[in-house]
Amino acid sequence: MAASTSPPADLSAALVLDPVASAEWLVILPVAWCLAIGALLVMLRRKIDWHPYIAVLGLAGLVLIDVFLLRHVLASGPLTMVMGRWLPPFGIAFTVDLSGALFALAASVVALAGGIYSLADINDSGRRYGFYPFLMLLMAGVSGAFLTGDIFNLYVWFEVLLISSFGLIVLGSEREQIDGAVKYGFLNLIATTLFLITTGYLYASFGTLNMADIARKAEGLAGTAPLMTLTALFVLAFGMKAAAFPVNFWLPASYHTPRVVVSALFAGLLTKVGIYALIRVTVMLLPLQREELSFVIALVAALTMLVGAFGALAQSDFRRMLGYLVVAGIGSILAGIAVGGPGGIGGAIFYALHSMLVMTALYFASGIAARLGGSFSLSSLAGLYRRHAGFAALTLMLAFAVSGLPPFSGFWPKVMLVKAALDIGAWWLAGALLLTGFLTTVVTGRFFLLAYWRDAGAGEGATASATISPAALLPLTALTVLALAIGLYPEPLLATIQTAATGLAEPSAYLNSVFPGGAP
Amino acid sequence: MLSVFILAPFAGSLLAIFFPPDQRGATAWFAGAIALLCFLVAAGLYPFVTSGGVLRYDLAWLPELGLNFTLRMDGFAWLFTVLVTAIGVLVVLYARYYMAAEDPVPRFLALFLAFMGSMLGVVLSGNLILLAVFWELTSIVSFLLIGYWHHNAHARDGARMALTMTGTGGLCMLVGLLLMGRIVGSYDLDVVLTSGDLIRNSPLYMPVLILILLGALTKSAQFPFHFWLPHAMSAPTPVSAYLHSATMVKAGVFLLARLWPVMAGTEAWFWTVGLAGLSTLLLGAYFAIFQQDLKGLLAYSTISHLGLITVLLSLGSPLAAVAAVFHIVNHATFKASLFMAAGIIDHETGTRDMRKLGGLIRYMPGTAVLAMVASAAMAGVPLLNGFISKEMFFAEAIETHQANILDTMTPYGATLAGMFAVTYSLRFIHSVFYGKAPEDLPKVPHEPPRWMRAPIEFLVLACLVVGIIPAITIGPFLHTAVVAILGASTPQYSLAVWHGWNLPLIMSFVALAGGVGLYFLMRNYLATSIEGPPIFRLLHGQRIFERVLVTLSWKWARSLEQRLGTRRLQPQMRFLVFIAIAAAALPLLLSHYEMPPLLVRSIDPAFALLWAVGIACAIGAALLAKFHRLAALVLLGGAGLTTCLTFVWLSAPDLAVTQLLVEIVTTVLILLGLRWLPKRIEDTQESELLSLQVRFRRLRDFLLAITAGGGVALIAYTMMTRPLPETIASYFLERAYKEGGGTNVVNVILVDFRGFDTLGEIGVLAIVALTVFALLLRFRPQADSLEAPEQQRVQNAFDDDHPDRNEGDSVAEYLFVPSVIMRWMFPVIGMLAAYLFLRGHDLPGGGFAAGIAMSIGFILQYMSGGTRWVEERLRIHPLRWMSIGLLVAAATGIGSWLFGYPFLTSHAQYATLPIVGKFPLASALFFDLGVFSLVLGATVLILIALAHQSIRAPRAHARAMRSGKEAS
Repeated sequence: MAASTSPPADLSAALVLDPVASAEWLVILPVAWCLAIGALLVMLRRKIDWHPYIAVLGLAGLVLIDVFLLRHVLASGPLTMVMGRWLPPFGIAFTVDLSGALFALAASVVALAGGIYSLADINDSGRRYGFYPFLMLLMAGVSGAFLTGDIFNLYVWFEVLLISSFGLIVLGSEREQIDGAVKYGFLNLIATTLFLITTGYLYASFGTLNMADIARKAEGLAGTAPLMTLTALFVLAFGMKAAAFPVNFWLPASYHTPRVVVSALFAGLLTKVGIYALIRVTVMLLPLQREELSFVIALVAALTMLVGAFGALAQSDFRRMLGYLVVAGIGSILAGIAVGGPGGIGGAIFYALHSMLVMTALYFASGIAARLGGSFSLSSLAGLYRRHAGFAALTLMLAFAVSGLPPFSGFWPKVMLVKAALDIGAWWLAGALLLTGFLTTVVTGRFFLLAYWRDAGAGEGATASATISPAALLPLTALTVLALAIGLYPEPLLATIQTAATGLAEPSAYLNSVFPGGAP
Repeated sequence: MLSVFILAPFAGSLLAIFFPPDQRGATAWFAGAIALLCFLVAAGLYPFVTSGGVLRYDLAWLPELGLNFTLRMDGFAWLFTVLVTAIGVLVVLYARYYMAAEDPVPRFLALFLAFMGSMLGVVLSGNLILLAVFWELTSIVSFLLIGYWHHNAHARDGARMALTMTGTGGLCMLVGLLLMGRIVGSYDLDVVLTSGDLIRNSPLYMPVLILILLGALTKSAQFPFHFWLPHAMSAPTPVSAYLHSATMVKAGVFLLARLWPVMAGTEAWFWTVGLAGLSTLLLGAYFAIFQQDLKGLLAYSTISHLGLITVLLSLGSPLAAVAAVFHIVNHATFKASLFMAAGIIDHETGTRDMRKLGGLIRYMPGTAVLAMVASAAMAGVPLLNGFISKEMFFAEAIETHQANILDTMTPYGATLAGMFAVTYSLRFIHSVFYGKAPEDLPKVPHEPPRWMRAPIEFLVLACLVVGIIPAITIGPFLHTAVVAILGASTPQYSLAVWHGWNLPLIMSFVALAGGVGLYFLMRNYLATSIEGPPIFRLLHGQRIFERVLVTLSWKWARSLEQRLGTRRLQPQMRFLVFIAIAAAALPLLLSHYEMPPLLVRSIDPAFALLWAVGIACAIGAALLAKFHRLAALVLLGGAGLTTCLTFVWLSAPDLAVTQLLVEIVTTVLILLGLRWLPKRIEDTQESELLSLQVRFRRLRDFLLAITAGGGVALIAYTMMTRPLPETIASYFLERAYKEGGGTNVVNVILVDFRGFDTLGEIGVLAIVALTVFALLLRFRPQADSLEAPEQQRVQNAFDDDHPDRNEGDSVAEYLFVPSVIMRWMFPVIGMLAAYLFLRGHDLPGGGFAAGIAMSIGFILQYMSGGTRWVEERLRIHPLRWMSIGLLVAAATGIGSWLFGYPFLTSHAQYATLPIVGKFPLASALFFDLGVFSLVLGATVLILIALAHQSIRAPRAHARAMRSGKEAS
């Protein structure tokens, strides 16, 4: 205890001394809010009837917080809060820029939709099992991953979301679910470990974990540290999280096993967190290395797209098909990352946001279809159009959206990506994007024809219910309308995304937000 | 004003959905009114587009992408607008009578209006991207229209094929248009139309041409993409009439004509467009002769006529372009009326098969006359509109445009196709209306309702009027359209029936006579032949399409999935590790990275030995995991202890304490869980029995593991031998006490500097515990692990043998003395935990270690007393502890809000308690308390999840035994 002997320290170099504005709390609030609601739900374990309502209200609150956060960032640029008032790079900084805020908002919308859908999908035993606490803690992890400005902290949120997603995937404990969960768990643990190891290397090279600090030191270290290896390992770790080829196998192996709402949430959230981390690390932190790797990433992107599209073609199960379509979408996003520039990165972000909404909605649709038709399998699923024309119309719109046809949300990112690929002369990449669009059209067209337009045989499916629970229809409709609205009037979103992409490539505003007074 | 053309149909479409399904009339009136409104607006705008006038409507939409919502109407677009809306009105009127009562008409008309809106969008787009958007919309809506009778498999297949072909073509076109925009520097059509030379001389001209042609040719059903159109005829006839006349297929030639000024005139254009057009013209006409289905005949004739238009556009001469535009209009009028007539025949007789039909002139003379005039127009008989545009075509075919073989062939091909056209037109009339009366028709034929025939009457009248006095009827409008395309280079031309005896007229007569002769030669064959032309019928475009799809979707996709998507975990993990090695190694190798020299200095033998033991333990654990779980677990503990000792060695007592506690708890918990695993696999495989394959596999995995581990170590070594960067670690050491208020750096880092990470990590711990708890809640052990362990069985058997003992006594008495000691340990461990907790900020310890230590106390109680005994005496609420812990930790973080500080700000101070003395009281202490509570809760939760298993299992066992007995 040498307290008395040490001279008084210059606190201003290390500590935030001024009181922070209340607005700054918006950065941390999504995580704290989700953790608190999650803890509350754990405490109310006996009152499982309350769970869904608390969770839905909590998620609605999360959407609201994220809306305010986005508005704040739009109005006054990136926002930073340093935890425990230790100035960066020493303390952990939560820094949110436009791309982070966009992703966080989209994630919360998806989660809210899932929360509402769960009213129709999660029964008492699922509630007793703890679906809602897991959901809230998952959202804490997802929000944390989107908002953090510290790479080790990012790892922590990855862990949070991985473990909660593991809890969700085993929900029900059927043999098939356990099988899917084991594959999911093991492969993702390897990826997470890889991430951790690489973060260790990163720290050894940079001596710092703060993203802004890394971003400004990266150029200087390019000659001396093996940054290419670091980048390659990060790309692999995040690519695996995102289910990029050739490490995509865990996704189709596990996404069709859990409850529909869980698949839907996974499709909307998990791979996109991987993509987000990949964008953050390769575009903002290690841009030079990304450029050098761009050909490899482009190759991976093209193969991911094709593997996804062809894989989807080979499926005759609604949810397995969707699993492959998620992979195909990841390929498109990777193409944008490979191409780079405002067009490529903007296209990638746009595509990711679109994919979050649309894939989640499609999983909802698969669940409703199974309710109506009694099966996920194409061999017995039929006559859905006759049973519920409105539902068929919604599904069809989503199918067009995922195929990248106008006037739905998938069209614009596809245009941006193709244009960006053509601009750098990557013909084959543009061709792969188009081919994927074509194959996706074939896939979804086939499903629509067989499951929706084909008439069910006499007496078949007579036992299945012909009505759809409003709790299931509402989120599906809302997400579809959102996809249509984005397709019809993409301008505000597109403008925001362009700014976000520029902010990633030229992170001076981000750096300023973390180090307001310049370099320490 | 222009936005009406887009808004009205789409808004009308939305409204029409909500009409009740039985309101056929009202919906039709509504849809007709919308179409009529658009028509009237278009008519009213005519004065603005004459002599090259252009109307524009701009709305900022996506300025970032250079895309505005620009509508642009010039003379050509105006002509198309009028065609689309006028025929739209007629088709709605016709559909009112055509659709059966059981069809959901509002849905049909809603789609119809949407389709009209999309087509108007294509026609009026003033921006290339907007055009592509509407283009895809027509594909989408036509998919729904063609599949309207979705209970019919043909309709479904036709719809899918149409969507796949035209949708894909549209995507290619989009790329073409994007490239074109790149060449020009703008997507605005007005700019593009003035940049012809720029486009034609660009190195990108060829790709642009090919991509745009792919879009146009698929849409216009040109060879070799023609096959989707005949299959689209399973749509309701009003749809066919509309698709084939004014919309859909016309969108392709519209685009060719629209871009004609900037793209035509090159050799590449001439060859590609001309070849596609000429072959389509001939093959379409030839195939049409052999169709037995009325609509099939008309569909192939559409293909052929579109081929004619394409050939005209390919020639690159202004006069040919005039003829093309003229023929677009003419074809629309006679083809719409013919489809409607075919629909009436189908509607009133119940069949469209020409082998069954005949002599209908006796039953429906009015329809017969109309159909005859219209098909005469199709055949190109003088005094009808089809004749005039065909004469112009012949005249242009004779002209030499390019000195090559295709140009030489064109007149012959044209004459031959004209001959075929006569033949199929004649066949249409002769086989349906003449000959012997039909037998066994599904319905007795009669004239259709008055107003169902009215649209045909109107169209046929148009054919006649235009055919007789072209110059004063269509002349000015055609001129307006042509000027819009050709501008200054508009040629002199005359629209007249009689141009004197010239070569085109002779060609016409040859075609007429030849066609009639051909028909009578083939008449008998056709009366009974099967569908489709000889030889070619074997080569079905549709079948190729389907086969490609099947190959893609089943053969390729399946085999790809099988090869790449193994569903087994082991290969997946092996593959993953392999990729990781490659990802790490390749960049190093490629950048000629120099390995730092390996420095061997001051290796302490004791430390090396420690690690040798640790490594041996780890390898042993992996080796035995499958065969002897207990041994593997013990070895795992050994490896853990090595880590622990290493921490001590490297002067990190805090980590060592925590690691030790964690090792103890996890090992004990796993031990408790071992009992519920299925029986282990006996190691019966002798090494000599191992096949070569297995040996190879093991060797490979071993090498993989060595490489991966060695690689990780090597990179770490590389990193660590680099000169140390200015790290934040030195900072932490410096500040831990001064500002973190603690002398235990590790703990200060954990709860203060990086307290937020800790918050996340305890969240992870909570989730893990919840997952384990939830999993075990549903866990039903394997049958072979249900029965009591051997030791208990022996003990119970001993009790059974001794009459003075009750069953279970021995189990209770077993290890009696240790268990009493274990019970007494509880308060001692509690004190230890409190001690660890309080001193945490300055010395090894802290909330985490205290929580783990405390949970050891609980574990001991459960082990010594049994589940029931403990839970009767202690209130165990691990879930509540966990949630309180998480809430306290989060609340400590948020609490700093009140003081205006960021999340998790700590406030350090010393406090004095009686007995304990001075102890550090930072607000981080509350955070630490949360950690403590959560760690304790999580560990105990896992513990009781395991413990309750042993209460539940005997019950399950008993149940299983009972049901087994009942069964036997």
